[in-house]
Amino acid sequence: MRWTGRIRFLFLAPAVAWVLAFTIFPLGYSLYLAFFKVEQKVEIKRVQQPVLDERGQPVIEDGQPKMRNVVLRENVTTSTFIGLDNFRRLVSDPQVADAVRVTLVFLLLAVPAELVLGFLLALLFNRQIMGRSVLRAIMILPIFATPLAVGYVFFTIFYEVGGPLAWTGIPWLSHPGWALVSVAIVDIWQWTPFCFLVILAALQGVPDDLYEAAQIDGASNWDMLTKVLVPLLTPTFVIVLLIRLAEALKLFDIPFAMTGGGPGTATQPYSMLAFRTGLRFFDLGYASAMAYGLLAVVMVVIMLFFRRMRESYG
Amino acid sequence: MAEPSPRRGASLADGLAFLAAVLVAFVFLFPIYWAFSQSLRNPLDTFTVAGFGIPWVNFTPTLANWIDQVGTPETLRSLANSTIVAIGAAALALALGTPAAYAVARFRFERWKNRDITIWFLSQRVLPPVATVVPFYLVMRSLGLLDTHLALILVNATFVLPFVVVILRQTFLDLPLELEEAALVDGASHWGAFWRIALPLAAPTLAATGLIVFAFTWNEFLFAVALSSRNAITVPVHIAGAVDTRGVQFWFMGVRAMTAIVPPVLIALLAQRYIVRGLTLGAVKG
Repeated sequence: MRWTGRIRFLFLAPAVAWVLAFTIFPLGYSLYLAFFKVEQKVEIKRVQQPVLDERGQPVIEDGQPKMRNVVLRENVTTSTFIGLDNFRRLVSDPQVADAVRVTLVFLLLAVPAELVLGFLLALLFNRQIMGRSVLRAIMILPIFATPLAVGYVFFTIFYEVGGPLAWTGIPWLSHPGWALVSVAIVDIWQWTPFCFLVILAALQGVPDDLYEAAQIDGASNWDMLTKVLVPLLTPTFVIVLLIRLAEALKLFDIPFAMTGGGPGTATQPYSMLAFRTGLRFFDLGYASAMAYGLLAVVMVVIMLFFRRMRESYG
Repeated sequence: MAEPSPRRGASLADGLAFLAAVLVAFVFLFPIYWAFSQSLRNPLDTFTVAGFGIPWVNFTPTLANWIDQVGTPETLRSLANSTIVAIGAAALALALGTPAAYAVARFRFERWKNRDITIWFLSQRVLPPVATVVPFYLVMRSLGLLDTHLALILVNATFVLPFVVVILRQTFLDLPLELEEAALVDGASHWGAFWRIALPLAAPTLAATGLIVFAFTWNEFLFAVALSSRNAITVPVHIAGAVDTRGVQFWFMGVRAMTAIVPPVLIALLAQRYIVRGLTLGAVKG
């Protein structure tokens, strides 16, 4: 039973207007910029200006106003329409290919590990044990710990001289391959708890009868796991996977703090390259094209997610 | 709660599970503990402390770093900025999102169905921020809003709006409809039923949602570093800036990391109940 009064539009209007102004408009503006070469230059101009006295009047010398040379600096933004050039550059840019590779390797290292570890921990702790609520509370801490600060903390943990993991002899941050593994480890530390909490919540929704029925049927624990629990939890796994994929594509803060994208560009994910291109090198048009490249991938994930979720939002 | 029925050897299994829980708790607490341990050390102790760096056991702790760092004008200003921005964004997102959540929970929309509207709001949450940072930067620059609290409040309110909608929509759906209908029969308007009946009943959730989005805003870094340079820098930007100018001084970093991490973490603990539902966009009810 739902109401249909006209006032319903008034309840909705402010938020809709807000999203149009602060999400749809920037996305549109970004798309527009992607077709331009935007250049920011400081133009230095030499001009002649009359010399003024204390009262602001021009000083007259030999019947003429006295002039002086002045150097003016002006920030000039020029944009030139270049059609699809930014997108062409995107697909042939080795830097982009490198950042895509870093992002993909990171996804493959971190996301499956988070899901598997989260599931195992949820199975392990889906029982009445001492201090379970304390454990649940502890698992919330990483999710809400400031990612940038976490990056710096792990920089000190992975520090290769005198750090707490130095005894391993592993070049955690100085070797390109290991540095990316280190970034993935931090992400796994931060997001395994999320997978754990969500899967645990789903596990607790499994009715008791199901365990009992399986036991009466003589199912072993392994059968119980593979034939009952895993199929039952598959929708939850898919949702967690899609959310983690969408979030992991945003990776930025942790490598920013921990490795600065290095050594070289070994841990520079796509988001960081796009950010640098736009706001450090001010190649705004190209950065916008890059953003759209990422957006295209994220849109696929978003659509898969909401297709699964559609019914539950009715 | 679903528990497998007790079996022989269950107490041994429980004991092992408890040990595992202690181990897991150790792993997930260690980095935060490590930052705290670093913050209590002399610079000289930074790289020479053995083992787990336990204060009094492995080194003599000092509060010097805390005294040195917490009182600096830069730290105080970044804490104040983060608080202002997070409160502003939370208030704005609640003001916009609560009526919208009520609308999709209680009214029927036809051309665009309720679920389409909900999805439209929620999909913002998954958008990569780097896709909108350039246009936001240009717009804020042309409005003269770079390096202001207002710019950061506007941006963060946008990011956390979906979270508000997903939590409060479910809260309103869970409220009994009869109370509001009785009010309507007694001549109240829809707005009156919302304002005087539904909203007070949802107040605890409203407060919890406000806390969680406060924590999200507190932690946001990409837009904060893009849009602020001096006056409006938030805690994460302050941390990154201090490293740029002085290198990573582990003992000070410990203090700064703790000042960044502790507030959102404490807040999240207060609002635990809504975290799973919120982070999965309503897909799983925690």
